[in-house]
Amino acid sequence: MKFANVIDSTTASALDVAWLNAQLEPMSEPGRRAYDEFEPLRPGHEQLARERASAVADLAARIDPSEVDALRDALRTMPDPLPAISRAAMGDMLEDANLLELLRFLDVAQRLHEHVTITDGVRRVAALLERGRAGKFGFYLSEKFDATLAVVREKAQAAQAEFDASRGRLAQRAARELGREELPGGEFIVMRESANVLPKGVRVVREAPTYLLCELELDDEALEALAKRDDASARVAVAEEAVRAAISAHVRECAQALEALADAVGAFDVRLAQVRFTQQYRCVPAEIVAERTLRFTDACYLPLQSELEAQGRRYEPISIDLSETAVLTGPNMGGKSIALRTCGFIALLAACGIPVPAHDAQSALFDEIAWLGIGAQEELGGLLSSFAREVVRLNELLARPASQPLLLIDEFARTTTPHEGKALLIALIRALRKRGHLAFIATHLAGVAAEAQTRHFAVRGLRNVPKGARAGDLQAALASLAESMDYAVAEVRDGGARQADAVALAHLLGLDDDIVAEAAHVLHGEAAT
Amino acid sequence: MRVGQHLLELARAGGCSSLFVVGTGKNVGKTVAMRAIADAATARGLRLGMTSIGRDGEAVDISDALAKPRLFLRPGTIVATARNLLPPHPASELLDFTPWTTASGAVILARVRDAAYYELAGPSTAGGVRACVRRFADLGCAQIVVDGALDRVAALAGGNDAVIVSAGASAARTMEDAVNDVRALAARLCIARVDRSQPFFEVDGALTAAHASRLASQGERRQIVVRDPTQIAITGKAMLGVAARLQLRCERPLRVVAATVASIGRDRYFEPRAFAQAVASATGLPTFDVYAGTMVDAA
Repeated sequence: MKFANVIDSTTASALDVAWLNAQLEPMSEPGRRAYDEFEPLRPGHEQLARERASAVADLAARIDPSEVDALRDALRTMPDPLPAISRAAMGDMLEDANLLELLRFLDVAQRLHEHVTITDGVRRVAALLERGRAGKFGFYLSEKFDATLAVVREKAQAAQAEFDASRGRLAQRAARELGREELPGGEFIVMRESANVLPKGVRVVREAPTYLLCELELDDEALEALAKRDDASARVAVAEEAVRAAISAHVRECAQALEALADAVGAFDVRLAQVRFTQQYRCVPAEIVAERTLRFTDACYLPLQSELEAQGRRYEPISIDLSETAVLTGPNMGGKSIALRTCGFIALLAACGIPVPAHDAQSALFDEIAWLGIGAQEELGGLLSSFAREVVRLNELLARPASQPLLLIDEFARTTTPHEGKALLIALIRALRKRGHLAFIATHLAGVAAEAQTRHFAVRGLRNVPKGARAGDLQAALASLAESMDYAVAEVRDGGARQADAVALAHLLGLDDDIVAEAAHVLHGEAAT
Repeated sequence: MRVGQHLLELARAGGCSSLFVVGTGKNVGKTVAMRAIADAATARGLRLGMTSIGRDGEAVDISDALAKPRLFLRPGTIVATARNLLPPHPASELLDFTPWTTASGAVILARVRDAAYYELAGPSTAGGVRACVRRFADLGCAQIVVDGALDRVAALAGGNDAVIVSAGASAARTMEDAVNDVRALAARLCIARVDRSQPFFEVDGALTAAHASRLASQGERRQIVVRDPTQIAITGKAMLGVAARLQLRCERPLRVVAATVASIGRDRYFEPRAFAQAVASATGLPTFDVYAGTMVDAA
């Protein structure tokens, strides 16, 4: 998919687009070609995005998942018809393997007849190739194409039998005279001592000190049989070429219709992958709106959900309503970054016209979805500090000409001093608001939303202090944390600061008890003052 | 003597329907042996499946442009070969595409409808060859013959095949070298099953020359056990040295049933009887000369 028209490689990495690509990958070569050309829609194409998503959702509702799997299986084994169609279109004569490819392709297309249009021309090609069907899946240039084939083949078989008999007689006679049971099909050895005079019909190919390498010499009768056989074989070749030429001409006449069908099958393959995705993850079409907004209820960031489920853990969906630049705060490991990724994931799927994994969703089409912050593969060199890399990346994003971007900013300026970082973040929010950009900004810095006078969301955080896990048992610690954490994102209206629960988390993750106790002491002392 | 029939009977004696012909090098008579077996199988009315791990049956050797023995296949034979190598005439019945590719194009399964010369170039990976053998069986082939290249013996792993080793004058400068080569090949492929009642040391994965040398220098007396003979990554003289110094054993032995010899080389000749006798003695296998129509029993 041409994701690159709305996300760059850094964002693709942050959103784990590779996972999404694997889910949406079609099965057939025409499907892969169609998928390569498939691109997310940009602002102005809202209607098309709605239509795409509805079509996928409608089909997902109508078709049984087992039928989806069966169709995808058929598409997986479908040969690519394009090389054969192209050859025929250029006036080449098709080989039998090309004809089998077309036959198999048309079998699959026929199976998809409810979803793709099969023209009369294509039907005629299918009917013609049907004459060559051998067994369920095979192809043979059979006599059903042309009765002449039967005649010439029969003659060739008779001529071959006559030649075999002739040669066999010679071989038997020579073997008898050499005192052997049989002679092999090609060259054979005769020891000098055992044959002072070679039998008639045996000639020497090479000589060695103790033996002769010989072969049968055909007599007049065998030579005549050989000539007849070669002549009969040549006639078979002419007849077969004539049939292939006729079939190829027929395919050439319908090349355009066949190519259109291949495109349609490819497009359906792409859609079928989306249908499977929709069914598997219980997706719904997002309401595509022109206004700059992103709103969803109980949405899942599927790459993480899949990972957690594979470990037997539960994923907690989240809901967000974003219509202007907003700040997101919350505890460490509370899911801030995942909330940002969920926004990007839902917006990207909506732009592709693919139903989204949420209870319901509403999204604008964004001409760029961009990620800034941790979690993306750093592309810049090691000479730059983390902070410098962020600034360079931010410059780059701000310089892009997107009119309706969605910026997902994860802990910008976290590696500089908190008061300067906060100042930079507030200034950035103001600048983004001025530009009319939609951005969701995760941070641990307190008071940013209030000072920037922007909406503030927060991950609810720990419900209670998680039970301590055995020292060194990270999995148990994570499980305990997941039990205690409320990952829901809610808007903060009182402007109050939220704690990061960092001390409790450090304790849970096994940090030395004395250090944790001292940290708590320091923290509470500060709070008291 | 009907060499093809004898080879076929030896191959099928243990109930194996698949047979690999493995040579010590190029032009050592594998195709001639395969042709004799194919003719015998066809004469017995067995549905035959044939393929090659490398390339087989071409009219001339690509490396020196000299003529090579060809494979004239009879109706009913099923082949796995590169689609670009299928003869255009007479037409074959195409059965199925496969996922395997070769330098000459994707491998296709086809049934011979009218007798013709065929070139074989099948899957080159061990997994591909095993899958190909299974496909032949699914297609009802009662006898499967695979031209197995020396450097692809891994394809024998996990199978229940008979194996024939081929030696020839083309692949060695002297008869002694040719005999040593086939002795090493047979020593490698004919490793006996481990005796679990005796001390043993299991090698995890392949036994390399370096590892074997280390074990030998440590005076290892236990049985050295590999999963199957294809896990021994040692050839030629090194293999003979290792076989003499270590008790090599395996969990799943291969069934090497015979050797064949081709005493006519491109540039040299060996005395056929002496060559066959030496190969039989060196390998302990019944040794056939398809060209001479003779057999030397190792016993």
